[in-house]
Amino acid sequence: MGESPRSGSGSRQLLLRIRRGLFASPLDTVITVVLAVLCGGGLWSFFHWVVLQADWAVVVENVRLYLHGRFPVEQVGRSWSWLGLLGALFLVTLMPARMLPRPVLRLLPLLWILILPIGLLLLAGGLGLEPVKSRFWGGLQLSLLLTLGTVLMALPLGILLALARRSSLPLLRWLTTGYIELTRGMPLIAVLFFGQLMIPLFLPEGWTFNRVLRAVLSLGFFVGAYMAEDVRGGLQAIPRTQLEAARSLGLSPLLTIALVELPQALRTALPSLANQCVASLQSTSLLAYLGLIELLGISRSILGNPDYLGRHLEVYIWLALLYWAVCILMTSLARRLERGLNVTGHH
Amino acid sequence: MASGIAPSPQPIELAVRSQGLDKIFPNGFQALSKVDLSVSKGEVVVIMGPSGSGKSTLIRTFNGLETIQGGHLEVLGHHLDADNNQKVVSRIRRHVGMVFQQFNLFPHLSILENVTLAPIWVQKRDRQDVKERALALLDHVGIREQAHKYPSQLSGGQQQRVAIARALALSPRLMLFDEPTSALDPEKVKEVLETIRALAAEGMTMVVVTHEVGFAREVADRVVFMDEGTIVEEASPQTFFTDPKEERSQLFLSRIL
Repeated sequence: MGESPRSGSGSRQLLLRIRRGLFASPLDTVITVVLAVLCGGGLWSFFHWVVLQADWAVVVENVRLYLHGRFPVEQVGRSWSWLGLLGALFLVTLMPARMLPRPVLRLLPLLWILILPIGLLLLAGGLGLEPVKSRFWGGLQLSLLLTLGTVLMALPLGILLALARRSSLPLLRWLTTGYIELTRGMPLIAVLFFGQLMIPLFLPEGWTFNRVLRAVLSLGFFVGAYMAEDVRGGLQAIPRTQLEAARSLGLSPLLTIALVELPQALRTALPSLANQCVASLQSTSLLAYLGLIELLGISRSILGNPDYLGRHLEVYIWLALLYWAVCILMTSLARRLERGLNVTGHH
Repeated sequence: MASGIAPSPQPIELAVRSQGLDKIFPNGFQALSKVDLSVSKGEVVVIMGPSGSGKSTLIRTFNGLETIQGGHLEVLGHHLDADNNQKVVSRIRRHVGMVFQQFNLFPHLSILENVTLAPIWVQKRDRQDVKERALALLDHVGIREQAHKYPSQLSGGQQQRVAIARALALSPRLMLFDEPTSALDPEKVKEVLETIRALAAEGMTMVVVTHEVGFAREVADRVVFMDEGTIVEEASPQTFFTDPKEERSQLFLSRIL
């Protein structure tokens, strides 16, 4: 009496809030108790299983396979270098902009593009490195390579498609609209199936076509159609008056696109584009069903080993953790970009 | 007379001359019909009129933001008519600056970048020179300190002054103002009008669409009154505001004065 909720101590306030939020009426109390028992019980048995019943040997004994697939053991340092470079680039990009010297900041986009050919060189060999055939690439190393390749192909493709879709040339407009609608109407697994199994049938005898490249092409064409729509949304959000300002300053149509429209459109589209990047990583796992031994593929083949019979749960929990960790990295990268590019409109 | 040689009359150089200008929007609305208007070099013309009278549309034809469907237009010696040539339009735009009601600054660029964008990319001038001149222009309009901020961080009046500096950065020979103070808070109107007034004092040729009677009275060499897509009356500010001839002008003035 006479004591306002604000004047109570911190813990007292917390108790009050808990009582008001969870135990306000008899029905609330019953619901709270039932849910608490269910959640608590579930969590308890999960941790009980994780600590006492699960056999993590299937994970611990195969770390090399999960990371590098069947990459030749004596060359595995190259796969490590690629993962290390990628990780380092992630960390540098995530650092606050003011901690980085200007030249490094300017080089970052270029480094993100260059990391792909560097990775390909490290994995495939050449220039003095012993060649390693792409069927020996695998694990996390291959998943990341596929994702990076897909994103680097899909983003420029998406931008070009978005621009072409609002072109004043009817033929170009119809073709891109047709392409985008057709691609979005197809299940990804069918596109990948076509890329992996059908294309080789149509190629002339003796022509081979790296299957990792085929996978990246199929994924890139697919994701590009979705990204095109995100970019188009960004373009549509730009007020007409911006274009009038650009025109009255004498900017040519090309300069207007490059200096006024795309920078604004990409800022607006960034959250959905980041979404597509994360989805691309998840989509690479479909390739496990088409003979690529990326993260999911190698896990399936580990599970095929009679030593690890019935250890599905352990493997899939471990996989979930790995995919989740990479996704967290990707989304924090996107958040970093959003802040750096002033997406919210404040500095 | 005795000296023999009479000085030949100096032809007054025109910045803009429109003859029988027609603007018909794709939906069939005729925004301008048979508009004849000349603006001499160094002259300040203020266009007034009720909303929808075609005054904004008229000045937007001067830099090709609106195509014309009939008549003839000459801007700084470049000729435009209904089959509007994109090359001519881009040549005109190089010498004509425009300031909009909603400022239309580029939100993703800093104030300084807004001002330097066109000189660097359109005129292909040296970056360092352009930057120095831009800073001088920003100083001129009183916002040099804000050069590295972004448009969203500035007040409306400040944004409009940046927009003026941005247009001036291309060293235009003609400035078009499309209701430059209509979107501003009342207390910000003065600072923008001061900037435009200073520009007029420097001898810039200007066509200003505005409702600011005080500004028109002081700065305009000539007031043009438009209604329903035609020019109803042209007169000096003194005559127009004290002794308008046309009934429609009188009606308009009785509403706003």
